Amino acid sequence: MKHSRFLILAAIVLLFALPAILSHSLVNAVNQMLIAALFACAFNLLCGQAGMLSFGHAAYFGIGAFATLHAMGIMGQESLLPTPLLPLAGACVGFLSGLAAGWFSTKRTGVYFSMITLALAELLHTMAPHLRSLFGGEAGLSGMRYPALGLTFGSDIHVYYLTLVWVLGAIGLQYYITLTPYGRLVLALRENSHRLSFLGYNVHHLGTLTFALSAMLTGIAGGLQAISIEASNYAIFDMHLSSEVVLNTYIGGVNVFLGPILGAAVMTFFGNAASDLTRNWLLYKGIIFVLVMMFMPTGIAGLVMMLTANLRKYSALLLWPVLLLSCIATFLLTMGTVFTVEMMQRILSQDYQMLAQMSDGGEWPPVQLFGRQWLPGSLISWGLPVVLFVAGGYFVKLAKNRWRVLQEASSDQSSETDSIHNLGEMTTESEHELNEREKA
Amino acid sequence: MTAPILSMDAVHKSFGDAHIIRGVDIELLAGERRAVIGPNGAGKSTLFHLISGQLKPDKGQIILNDQEIQGLPPQRINHLGLARSFQITNIFPGLTVFENVRIAVSQRHGLQYSLWRLIDRIHNVSEQTDSIMEKVRLSANRDTLAGELSYSEQRALEIGMTLASDPRVILLDEPMAGMSHEETDYMVALIREVTQGRSLLIVEHDMDVVFSLSDRISVLVYGELIATGTPDEIRNDSRVQEAYLGEEVSA
Repeated sequence: MKHSRFLILAAIVLLFALPAILSHSLVNAVNQMLIAALFACAFNLLCGQAGMLSFGHAAYFGIGAFATLHAMGIMGQESLLPTPLLPLAGACVGFLSGLAAGWFSTKRTGVYFSMITLALAELLHTMAPHLRSLFGGEAGLSGMRYPALGLTFGSDIHVYYLTLVWVLGAIGLQYYITLTPYGRLVLALRENSHRLSFLGYNVHHLGTLTFALSAMLTGIAGGLQAISIEASNYAIFDMHLSSEVVLNTYIGGVNVFLGPILGAAVMTFFGNAASDLTRNWLLYKGIIFVLVMMFMPTGIAGLVMMLTANLRKYSALLLWPVLLLSCIATFLLTMGTVFTVEMMQRILSQDYQMLAQMSDGGEWPPVQLFGRQWLPGSLISWGLPVVLFVAGGYFVKLAKNRWRVLQEASSDQSSETDSIHNLGEMTTESEHELNEREKA
Repeated sequence: MTAPILSMDAVHKSFGDAHIIRGVDIELLAGERRAVIGPNGAGKSTLFHLISGQLKPDKGQIILNDQEIQGLPPQRINHLGLARSFQITNIFPGLTVFENVRIAVSQRHGLQYSLWRLIDRIHNVSEQTDSIMEKVRLSANRDTLAGELSYSEQRALEIGMTLASDPRVILLDEPMAGMSHEETDYMVALIREVTQGRSLLIVEHDMDVVFSLSDRISVLVYGELIATGTPDEIRNDSRVQEAYLGEEVSA
């Protein structure tokens, strides 16, 4: 508890110091990470805490963004609010639209709830280009940040601090809410809404309020996005954004408050970095999601908690070899996967297929990859990934053996089994991972 | 004689072609402990669902405290002073025992929309939660997840949650199912104690419990009440013996 508080404090201090350390483009990337983190956190109020999986949260993100743009003053109009308070517009309109949408969708639960949220979001997505005055048609709207409080808000740094303060405030508010009577009821709503109504609670009102609060916080995130890029168009309502927040949240872990924040930050960073490096980054994102869901359903947060639990249980000296072996195994398997995917992508690309046809029965031309030429027909081009997979599998085995020895040694001393069970799962995880990747 | 606190008047309920409740009249007096017995499939649970708002009757009136409640949503009926437990344990499995009871207690403090106060600082809620946990002997399991309790502990929690809203009428649906003798004895004593000054309607298969606990017993067979009376009257009623007890013996 004390450790995590210290870590959070350190992270906040670091976030405030970042502009002094990082380049402008990286500060912009962190800005995006913060917005995605707030979005995922707001989404998780509904998904993880209240147990209602929304497939249409892009709607409230977009509504927040457009509301903020309107408040900003479009096409040289007066700004309704001073720049630092603009996200309030996103919050208010987000709350109201969440109240309306939530009233309908929370009448149903489970899959039906998800389908209603999806339908409402798609409805908005289809209508938005036709509502010229609200969403600016297909071209969208753009605004301008006006100076306020002696700040120009012209530079990325000003925008970054504006985002940071709002994101921290909104996440802090949401955390506070989890400690209130209402916040506890939200958890009960997830656990057993039927029982809740027989205890005298109005489940529909409770669900609607939760939906509205989630939409409100989502609206703030949308507003911050609108402030930082000073524009938006109807594409913001696309399904893509709705699904991305679901993925980010689950990769981070829905059961821990900080999980979605972590997941969104990591995945946004991954998206930024990987999309610069490879065209296949969406495929990698998909692979990561599938693997996390299959072998680590508690997400990154679950992994962190399992690690800390085991570090408490075993001496670090004994645990490190297992971790090191697992890391090596993961690295080798990842390299094998990346090599195979990149190679296949290049060979299957249209350009290359043309070249291959021109070679007319002769040997296919080499492929440029990782600063080397690889011949598609040569043994080494296909032998390398096989070697990587086999070596990765070998390290998985080593890690598992090491872990078993550690477990057996400690089970003599203590009878507790939960964390043993956990790490046991992790090692079988890596094995499955291997199988999975070989299949892929 | 005291006035009835809960009464049903010619209540009918069908599911498709199946006519489950066929014109039930029942009057529960204030302060009375009443058991409803009957063979499997007689409609006892359906009766409870109708009273507590889970189901709507097709015909007839249900009156709680001079107010018609048929077809009202469960939370409204709860506000009017009626709480129930469930035959199949119905708790919040992923939350701690303390949290389960506290959620049940919070309701009568009107805290559903309280977003500004820290719940840990609301002391009377915590105190009442503790006292209910003590009553149902779960204080030692305060921080255990409800889903990890043993079966009989979950039953006790279920009853604790039912009591938490301080109801005037309590409906217990087979509270002793699956309990050992010792647990049953404790539960009977507990129910007797906590229903002091309240009205109780209980469905139970353990006849020892039924005959020792209740002031009066109603016998429900195929959706109709065939008899109501004191335990002695019921024991000696020939129709009851034929329709219910006789069946049990021959079975």
